[in-house]
Amino acid sequence: METKLPSTWEKALDSIRTWARVNSPWVIHFNSGSCNGCDIEILATLTPRYDLERFGVKLQGSPRHADVLICTGPVTRNARDRLVRIYNQMPDPKFVVVVGSCGLSGGVFHGSYNVMGGVDEVIPVDAYVPGCPPRPEAIIHGVVALLDSLKKKP
Amino acid sequence: MDTTTALETAQSLLQPWAQTVTQPEPHRSDFVVAPADLLAAVQALMDARWGYLGAITGVDLPAPAPAEGQPPAESHLAALYQFFNGAAVATLRVTVTHAQPVLPSICDIIPSATIYERELIEMFGFDIENTPVTDHLLLPDDWPQNVYPLRKSFTGFGGAESA
Amino acid sequence: MTNQSQPQKFIVPIGPQHPALKEPGHFEFGVDGEIVTSATIRLGFVHRGIEKATEDRTWVQNLYLLERICGICSNIHGTVYAIGVEKLAGVEIPPRAKYIRTIVAELERVHSHLLWLGVAAHEGGFDTLFMYSWRDRETVMDLLEGLSGNRVNYSTNLIGGVKFDINEKQADEIRRGLDFLEERTHYYMKVVTTDETFLGRTRDIGTMTREQAELLGAVGPTARASGVPRDVRSESPYLAYNEHPIQLQVHDGGDLLARFIVRLNELFDTYRLIRELLDHMPAGDLTVRVPRRIPEGEVLIRGEAPRGELVYYLKSSGSDKPDRIKVRTPSLCNWGTISHVAVGHKLADMPMLLVGIDPCFSCNDRLVTVNNTQNSQDLTWDALRRYGIEYYK
Repeated sequence: METKLPSTWEKALDSIRTWARVNSPWVIHFNSGSCNGCDIEILATLTPRYDLERFGVKLQGSPRHADVLICTGPVTRNARDRLVRIYNQMPDPKFVVVVGSCGLSGGVFHGSYNVMGGVDEVIPVDAYVPGCPPRPEAIIHGVVALLDSLKKKP
Repeated sequence: MDTTTALETAQSLLQPWAQTVTQPEPHRSDFVVAPADLLAAVQALMDARWGYLGAITGVDLPAPAPAEGQPPAESHLAALYQFFNGAAVATLRVTVTHAQPVLPSICDIIPSATIYERELIEMFGFDIENTPVTDHLLLPDDWPQNVYPLRKSFTGFGGAESA
Repeated sequence: MTNQSQPQKFIVPIGPQHPALKEPGHFEFGVDGEIVTSATIRLGFVHRGIEKATEDRTWVQNLYLLERICGICSNIHGTVYAIGVEKLAGVEIPPRAKYIRTIVAELERVHSHLLWLGVAAHEGGFDTLFMYSWRDRETVMDLLEGLSGNRVNYSTNLIGGVKFDINEKQADEIRRGLDFLEERTHYYMKVVTTDETFLGRTRDIGTMTREQAELLGAVGPTARASGVPRDVRSESPYLAYNEHPIQLQVHDGGDLLARFIVRLNELFDTYRLIRELLDHMPAGDLTVRVPRRIPEGEVLIRGEAPRGELVYYLKSSGSDKPDRIKVRTPSLCNWGTISHVAVGHKLADMPMLLVGIDPCFSCNDRLVTVNNTQNSQDLTWDALRRYGIEYYK
């Protein structure tokens, strides 16, 4: 049975949901074939010097609790299925941030037999952070840009 | 034991099986060994506690294109068993043909060799007898059979799929 | 319904995505209650086919590709490769370039060991130490960025030399940074050797004897923490390690605590070595010319990465591209030790054990089945529930 709320209530609820989402996005990190460079920079953004948590961002383990998937590296043949599975396990609405040049296009590994290419060949991507590896500031900028875009959504 | 003594010891240990001995670098000796003698040679090194197995490297040696009217020459695969002892390196060089790439497994003597042997099997198409595990080491499970990425004939995936 | 008199095995799969793993690896631990009875490791999720890719890139292009084998020990890959190509080409790089390479390699070791300390503390549930060590690690990251312009892939090497010089001002900055880090490292040493709670997670966990370490072919700090005096920098000195030898750090403990102590002691030695190198830097050029085509031949080069011995085999057929490049990374050797030390420990200790060897998945880009589980069996939920009730009755 479905309860229909008046549209004003729906709108108010939506804005509360967006407010909550923007202020406390939970992220999950998956390495689909990266060299580690981006992964250690993502970890560095969580540690005291850069402290991504001041934006309410929390890194946690299960895809079922996550709003944002931070993905690094080109997608290898082995990791492709896992990446899709993790993406499917995340509840809607979900967002994907790709960190690093390899995740954008395959980077230096482009054309290798075991590399499928960038992450957007496999799952839809919302934000790209280029760099090899991107500086922590760039990663923070990418996440903040994503959060900003959520605020503007109706 | 300094490097020169170590290499001299290795040479005397491998004397019965080494077909040729070369010394391309001051700290490195190459011993060409027949596939049938490989186990005995490895055993001799290990019995004397001469260093440890550092790596097994596979190399594809395709035959050059045959001249007009000539039958094609045979292509070879080489496996280099590299042992380190201090700064000294002893390489056992074993060569087999593409048609019959059979080598004995050294896992009974050196258990940790299994990963290198599996790499040889899947990347080069060696046939290693009695190796404990033959599952895919690097490649995904859905990799096509009889496609060996580190052979020179493999060029990108498209070519292999059509082959 | 299962037969209760038969020993039962449950497989706990972990990964490739798991909160305790920052990189993808898949593990299957066979458990009896809480106790691990077998370990199967499946890697290969980051296999990118680099060895094949090197064959259709030129010698110079490969420098950039190989540096991206691993983001943590990026510099040593480039350095060992460059030494190999220079050997093939028969050129000798200027002494100043050798010193700069050594200094960057040692700074990289500082960053890698501090990174490891933080991650290991995190796996042990000691997040304060994780945050502390990563905060301090930013000091060495700043130094490396100041020298090279990049925090991770320093791209120090050219074939035939190095890209950047270290001037007096930068040298002073490095010295200041090292003074701060040395003081902090003393503090970390005190914490990991005296904090009772943390010692509970490290003392006598994952003990590996010297015989085991030698048999399984362990390398690097993992082997040195089991009393194996194996370090390429002292066995077969390269770069400036001839003139400025290292002090080999060995510990007989073999457990996780010993690995902490060995790595922290190595940090102290590295600080000393970097200062010594900075004080004795010879003047001169940074590069020599190297021909584009490398003469035919093959070389085998070894170097000591932060995780242990790194081996490069290079074969040239005389063209501007290599014929074959084989990379043997230290993590590959150390994986084999996991299955042996894992058995008999609690499942909760597994993340600590795994991190104890400082594994680097991207270095491996390989898959290892260490110990095959036999006697596997699928249970229904219902049977599983009943078994659980029976087991703990």
